[in-house]
Amino acid sequence: MSSPTTPTTNNPFDIFVIGARKGFNMAINNLMPNVLMAYVIAEILNVTGAMKAIGTLFAPAMAIFGLPGEAVTVLISTWLSCSAGVGMALSLFTKGVLTGTHVSILMPALFLMASQIQYMGRLLGVADVPKKYWPLLMVISILNSCLAMLIMRFVV
Amino acid sequence: MGVENQSPDEWKVGVGAYIALIFAVLFFSGLFMKVDGMEWLGALDFTTLSGKFGTLQDGKSTFVGNGGVSAKAGFLFALSLVPTVMLALGMLEIFSHYGAIRAAHKLLTPLLRPLLGIPGLTGLAMITDLQSTDAGAALTKELYDEKQITKKELVIMSAWQYSGAGMINNYFAIGSAVFSTLTVPVLVPLLLVFVFKFIGAIGARFVLNSAYKKDFINE
Repeated sequence: MSSPTTPTTNNPFDIFVIGARKGFNMAINNLMPNVLMAYVIAEILNVTGAMKAIGTLFAPAMAIFGLPGEAVTVLISTWLSCSAGVGMALSLFTKGVLTGTHVSILMPALFLMASQIQYMGRLLGVADVPKKYWPLLMVISILNSCLAMLIMRFVV
Repeated sequence: MGVENQSPDEWKVGVGAYIALIFAVLFFSGLFMKVDGMEWLGALDFTTLSGKFGTLQDGKSTFVGNGGVSAKAGFLFALSLVPTVMLALGMLEIFSHYGAIRAAHKLLTPLLRPLLGIPGLTGLAMITDLQSTDAGAALTKELYDEKQITKKELVIMSAWQYSGAGMINNYFAIGSAVFSTLTVPVLVPLLLVFVFKFIGAIGARFVLNSAYKKDFINE
């Protein structure tokens, strides 16, 4: 995420436009390529029948969170990149594999374990956290996600 | 907001900042969506203002259509998400401008010592992480280089930042794409992410104080 710049204006309309422009760039440069990629990956998984296999394989584990087995692809994607995870969730939602309830359950996890691979370098590397503790922090993120999904299961 | 370059004085929080924070929370809370008899409140509601696309002739599907697959379907679908993201970031910019983030910083700081055992001066780096992972990481490194925090505090801070990094920006810039599919108010998952950042960091603090106790014997 690019760091926000100071608006040189005090006019709320101009400030809105500055933010909306950031949103446009974000949507076009970040969201759109990632959503497109997620749709294509989902289609590859579909055509090859892998999605079905994944769905069956992970059905018992994901059932703990009230989710179908296919939902694990959303979690794997978000772990690599948050946008890809959101894209995958959208793709499965439009296909009818996930319902709004399922997406709601996944929602906190989409961010609690978001982009962990990227952030290893961008956060842990930059802040100079000794590598010894990286696995600990990664396990914590995944535990956070699992617990949050369990809570969401009973909220929705 | 270029927080790195601001002196602490510029981080003074007035009443206006709290009002901005309250507005920000209400705007995304969904509380003002379709209030019976008070439809005008929708003017203060994110989902209402996001609006909806008109339908094509069959009266069912928007321009995205039905039954599309793969790259082409993904492209059109992503296109339909653009307005929501623009609205979310436009409003976020306004709330930030009027001090919502500063007010949140002020509210967060007193929690750090009792919950995480890290000094209040880390508050700025922590709140910055909510907006930008990279800026938060840079500020954290700076605190350690200036010997304001110990190695253990650095690890605890990073645990808090790592899970749900860039929470606010990611949630509204990327997550807003799925807002319309949610069956819960938009702020509920966000709140949960925020709470779990603390739970995870408290867990890290506990592990560092037990399993890794020997590492920090000199601190």
